Amino acid sequence: MASRVLVRCVRSLARPSERLCRVNVTMRAAAAPLPLNQRSFSLLSCSQRTRQTDQTRVPGSLVQLCRQYGDLPPLTLESIKDRVMYVLKLYDKVNPEQLQTTSHFMKDLGLDSLDQVEIIMAMEDEFGFEIPDAEAEKLMSPDEIVQYIADKKDVYE
Amino acid sequence: MANPLRGEVVKLYKSLLFLGREYPKGANYFRDRLKTAFMKNRDETDPEKIKQLIARGEFVIKELEALYYLRKYRALKKRYYETNE
Repeated sequence: MASRVLVRCVRSLARPSERLCRVNVTMRAAAAPLPLNQRSFSLLSCSQRTRQTDQTRVPGSLVQLCRQYGDLPPLTLESIKDRVMYVLKLYDKVNPEQLQTTSHFMKDLGLDSLDQVEIIMAMEDEFGFEIPDAEAEKLMSPDEIVQYIADKKDVYE
Repeated sequence: MANPLRGEVVKLYKSLLFLGREYPKGANYFRDRLKTAFMKNRDETDPEKIKQLIARGEFVIKELEALYYLRKYRALKKRYYETNE
């Protein structure tokens, strides 16, 4: 529990810093085609440089803190939904044109219960954890699958 | 729908599907055959008969395991004694 709180704190701290980094990058990209301009700017802002580096060092350390090493980027509801829909589109018995997030596997897509078991197995492969049979048989639409995975993986809006 | 054996049948289907991924003729071939085999008995309602069919499915699981063991054994043997054959 404590670690979860810590992670949340770090993430919320890291988010503005990420934005800062992105702004920096865009600024640099904008300045790149005008090296002369940049040089004059740096000459002018020589006295301000110390303050600048101080400012940039703080988000840098935060970025270091939230490194993910070998872990995947954190799941969001959006990314879960995209992956679920992608898996379903690749499944040969589903017609991608009929597929919607709310469509019922049996009523709308014309699948049977065995196909549904196959879909659940595909989801287990995609997200790397096992879904118990008792809960698997209740998952009848892409929306429900997304909701279930989000619950299991502690993903909130 | 509310058959008490339904859960067992689904479990059997799932484990067979999982084992079928390594099938020599390909996972798709195995999946299609498995599906038709299950669909053939979809209207079965007699619990005794269903239990019999589940037992048959479990027998197939054992056969598949034996098949994979044999394949592994042959592959290892071939690597050790390739010159003899």
